[in-house]
Amino acid sequence: MGTNARQRQVFILSALLIPTALLIAFVVVPGLDLFRLSATNWDGLAPDYDYIGLDNYKKMFQDGNLWLSLRNNMVYFFLHLLMIPVELAFAVVLNSKMRGAKFYKTMVFLPYIINGVAVSYAFSYFFSPVNGAMDALLAALGLEELQQSWLSNPSIVNFTLAFVSLWRFSGYHVILFLAALQSMPQDIMEAAQIDGASSWQLFRHIQVPSIMLMVDFVLFDNIRGALQVFDIPFILTNGGPGYASSTFTLYTINTAFKFSNFGLAATMAVAIMFMIVLIYLVQNVLIHKVLLKEGRR
Amino acid sequence: MKTGRALSSFVKQLVCITMVIIVILPIMLTFFASIKTGADMVNTSPLLPPPVERVTGANYAKVLDDKNLITGFKNTLVILAFSLVFNVALGTVTAYIIERFDFRFKKFVISLFFLGMLIPTFVTEISRFKIISGMGLYNTLGAPILIYVAGDLMQLYIYRQFISKISVSLDESAILDGCSYWGLFARIIFPLLAPATATVCIIKSITIINDMYIPYLYMPRTKLRTLTTFLMNYANAQQGSWQTLSAGIIIIMLPTVLLYVLFQRHILAGVVAGAVKE
Repeated sequence: MGTNARQRQVFILSALLIPTALLIAFVVVPGLDLFRLSATNWDGLAPDYDYIGLDNYKKMFQDGNLWLSLRNNMVYFFLHLLMIPVELAFAVVLNSKMRGAKFYKTMVFLPYIINGVAVSYAFSYFFSPVNGAMDALLAALGLEELQQSWLSNPSIVNFTLAFVSLWRFSGYHVILFLAALQSMPQDIMEAAQIDGASSWQLFRHIQVPSIMLMVDFVLFDNIRGALQVFDIPFILTNGGPGYASSTFTLYTINTAFKFSNFGLAATMAVAIMFMIVLIYLVQNVLIHKVLLKEGRR
Repeated sequence: MKTGRALSSFVKQLVCITMVIIVILPIMLTFFASIKTGADMVNTSPLLPPPVERVTGANYAKVLDDKNLITGFKNTLVILAFSLVFNVALGTVTAYIIERFDFRFKKFVISLFFLGMLIPTFVTEISRFKIISGMGLYNTLGAPILIYVAGDLMQLYIYRQFISKISVSLDESAILDGCSYWGLFARIIFPLLAPATATVCIIKSITIINDMYIPYLYMPRTKLRTLTTFLMNYANAQQGSWQTLSAGIIIIMLPTVLLYVLFQRHILAGVVAGAVKE
């Protein structure tokens, strides 16, 4: 038995060594190092730099363009939030017996699979100001007065970009909701149906409570996703015009790799981490302590 | 009752067809542009395909003729091959140990992996950049490979779920028969994980092929283009020539769409498993 226990130990140690070392060296250490860098004025290149205390944090809070960027993130957040009931409804529809459900399921998830850069350029063409499809579509419907500079009008551009984001990511949530619905015991549904429950009652009292955990995940995913919007504005507008369509992550990345202020950028990265964890905790309390408690009888 | 059901089925179909149109429209219009001549880009509506007799394959020929596209394809394949092999090798063994064994620092190791999931993706490069560059990996294929292997942890959830469904008695009898732990893992567990491995490989392939940021940041050299960064550079060079860029867009879309069409079931199952992690 002694040799067996030893063998076990050797196996566990030898097997976990590489993956754990990789994780620590390239994920955990860089993640924690952001905190240290946030107290420096490092430019990303120079071998030495000074520790400047909380100066970067002060600078960050006074940076109007960063706040503007954060406000833009909110557009993505709220539009995606508004979509969640729609996504849920879609999942319920796709889960019901209907002709073509399989095909529709394939289509609803397709945008999530397609290369994001290719999609962004496709939409850049779609919304282009010269011979753009969106304007042509409006003209065809007799709605010329709604034609816009979709990607250069500061008061519209974020909605255009958030629409692209909705197009790309909504299907992901539909598939998650659908999986949650399908993992639900079918006999309960049937029993309720036999007892004369209407579709709405089924949805409200059986389906919704049983997918609350997935709703929980989708809400958190939405927050994390909205805070980290990057590639859509990066490709389509690069945050412009001015900072009108910049986002927190895009602004952070530019602060580091374009303006060589790695110290300040690290501070912003810490802020993103902080916001994600904070919202995660708040949401956990809200959903598990308040909402689920009620639903549990 | 019957008319009510017919009506509800009609509404459902209507809603779903609208969804399909919204999904297809931007792709279809890009495809229309990709088979138009420069003159037809101006003369025909962006909503319509060109007249049949003026359909052209010239835009595709031009993109396919670009040497950098082949380079991008090759680089993407190399990155994929290495990332997948290491991800599968490390992912299977890590998930197996975490799921099946108790050891002293288990809680610590698990919380490390949980922490890894919480660290935001893009902004971590601010501090990771100097580590990767310090290792001399800047402008090499090693940079994305290392980052994909070390940083993307979704395979652990897929493997752990799968392992939890494999009977423990299998392990016990193999050990009683005198099999070593590594032998047990390599000869019994690893082959049993094949379906999960298929799922992991397909999902990772899609993520890696589609990734823009890591190759863009770490490999600016022309020779190190991936399919995605090829398209970015191509777009900058084609300023204003939407018909050629459209052909490029369609070509770059194809690999992952093809994977999706072929392996849809795996992909959907894996995506769900990657999300539902407690």
